Amino acid sequence: MMRLLLVEDNPRLATLIRDGLDRQGFAIDWYETIEGAQHAMQIGDYDLVLLDLGLPDGDGLDLVTAMRAQMDQTPILIMTARGGLDDRVAGLDAGADDYLVKPFQIPELAARCRALLRRPGHALEAVLHVGNVSLNPAERTVHVGDIAVDTAPREVDLLEVLLRRSGHVVAKQSIESALYSMDAEITPNAMEASISRLRKRLSAASADVQIKTIHGVGYALYAPSNVTE
Amino acid sequence: MRYMLHRMLPNKFMTQNEQSKGPTLFRQIATRLAIFTLLFAVLDIGIVIFTYGQQPQSLAEELLTLEADKMDGSKFTDLDQFAGPPESTHWFASYVDSNLGNSGSLSAAYPSPNRGTLMDWTRREKLSQGFRISGVRSVVIAGEQRWLYMQFEGRGISPYVPVIINELIQHVALPLIPLSLLMLLFNIFAVRRVLNPLRRAEAEVDRLDPEDMALRITEPREPREVTTLVRAVNRALERLDSSMAILRSFTANAAHELRTPLSIMQLSIDQLPKGEQRDALLTDNQQMTRLVNQMLDLAQADAKAFETGAPVDLVEVGRKAVTQLAPAAFAAGRDLVFEDYGTATTKGHEEAIFRIYRNLIDNALAHAPGNTPIEIEVGPGPRFSVRDYGPGISETDGPKLFERFWRKNRSTGRGAGLGLGIVQRLAEAHGGSIAFENPEGGGAKFIVTFPSDTAA
Repeated sequence: MMRLLLVEDNPRLATLIRDGLDRQGFAIDWYETIEGAQHAMQIGDYDLVLLDLGLPDGDGLDLVTAMRAQMDQTPILIMTARGGLDDRVAGLDAGADDYLVKPFQIPELAARCRALLRRPGHALEAVLHVGNVSLNPAERTVHVGDIAVDTAPREVDLLEVLLRRSGHVVAKQSIESALYSMDAEITPNAMEASISRLRKRLSAASADVQIKTIHGVGYALYAPSNVTE
Repeated sequence: MRYMLHRMLPNKFMTQNEQSKGPTLFRQIATRLAIFTLLFAVLDIGIVIFTYGQQPQSLAEELLTLEADKMDGSKFTDLDQFAGPPESTHWFASYVDSNLGNSGSLSAAYPSPNRGTLMDWTRREKLSQGFRISGVRSVVIAGEQRWLYMQFEGRGISPYVPVIINELIQHVALPLIPLSLLMLLFNIFAVRRVLNPLRRAEAEVDRLDPEDMALRITEPREPREVTTLVRAVNRALERLDSSMAILRSFTANAAHELRTPLSIMQLSIDQLPKGEQRDALLTDNQQMTRLVNQMLDLAQADAKAFETGAPVDLVEVGRKAVTQLAPAAFAAGRDLVFEDYGTATTKGHEEAIFRIYRNLIDNALAHAPGNTPIEIEVGPGPRFSVRDYGPGISETDGPKLFERFWRKNRSTGRGAGLGLGIVQRLAEAHGGSIAFENPEGGGAKFIVTFPSDTAA
């Protein structure tokens, strides 16, 4: 189990975060001060530090700087009330790995934690699931419900990229570099054509996910729950 | 229909060099100088008259000298042409030197003074009524030096008038007039020179900009009066600056402080059992979060508390904004369409420009109905636009669009009416501008233009 160090001076908020992440499968140690956090890190090892910035005994950024100066590479996720124009860059420049402005929801925080722990929820699953669509990365097979859908290898690659980032827009460039790096030149039209074929194939198999084109930017695969209509 | 908006600032209403109705310093000094000169002249006249009144003997001497001067240099030897001082009686003049032969007729009527009197002298005698003045002066008549005896009787002050006038001209008018003129000229020169630092300070005060509170007026080294005035103005600016900073930091701090309770509320609501009430509370909380975010953004944009010097690729930032907002748009059944029309780079602050995009796209999502798309177009050149297919902007709404807390419909809509204000302030902080139009095909289009990055 992943051990997370939570440094937050508001007890009510800290309790809510701890309980929320606990339900997501993380083990949390909570400290209210920089001093307490430093002490805790001397005793035990943590996989991730969740850090508030305005703390009673100093600025959380100082802890980030101090940890990086000691060559401590533990991932740090700053969760703060500071949402100014330069705050995010300042936090990342200090050596933090991610920056989340309050208020946030637990699923989002958990997703970011997983990303930082290099254990993105989907990535390590044997089979990728979104809606009624599933993809087995090892076998390169696609199922809608229980029915196997015969899919061209390039479309499987494409679907895998979109499934791994479902709910997010995947830029065309990222798809290109992920899929066709070994291949010869690939035209945008070829990608659009592949997407189009994949859409038809999924919809013919009555899949409930949607692949959206964000014109000029990229593509996104949305789970049915994302659709309000 | 296209509107261009400039934020209304008080200083933009005023003409740059407002003409005051009051007299200029130059005129004031010149007027005072003239009055002073006049007073001085009057005083001088008084002193001259008083002095001579006290010294009738010297007045008599001056009078005779004046009469002799009238004849001095004359070509005529005939003394009958001279009548003596005004209102004098018994005027008599004759030569008293060796050439007496020519004026024998006169010597019969009056006793001729003897030759021992050949020197300048004056005698003043009191008569029963008035006085008699007699004396001798040396004159040059018809090229010959002659000795002239003069005598007359008079009463009161009238015979002395020519002397007094002469004295006034010589001792009052002649020195005062050139002196006054010189002082006036000096006044023009000196006042202009002295006022120059004041004019420069005035020009600098006019350049003061509420957007840039760091500006101060350059202190001139002299004159000290202007230096102290400029210092006082700078001190006043300092106080204004700090009170504005307090106001701004209050907004920013308040926004910050609200985030923690909002987080607690957010996470607490998440734990409630699913249902209509929970959804409503979540929506309320999200609206409040948005308001807090916008207040902070606005406070920062107002304070211009960010650097705008880094090269920014508007295409890249636009893609990032669309990437981030597309899922929300999709959830609302909307499409974001991004068109890149070529190089669009500027100097600015990436996060600030990102928030311009985000606010404009948010605004479009809020105002256009149904599942109409939002079109984001970038370039060519440092500009981008966000267009929706909503009802467009009516002529009456246009001017109010960028007002803070203004909303078209207060009863509906989720916004607080700050988004466009933030966009405007952020664009202006970059030296850019925002315009809007109702394009063909319906809807509203907001166009943000930045200065070219090569121009700076």
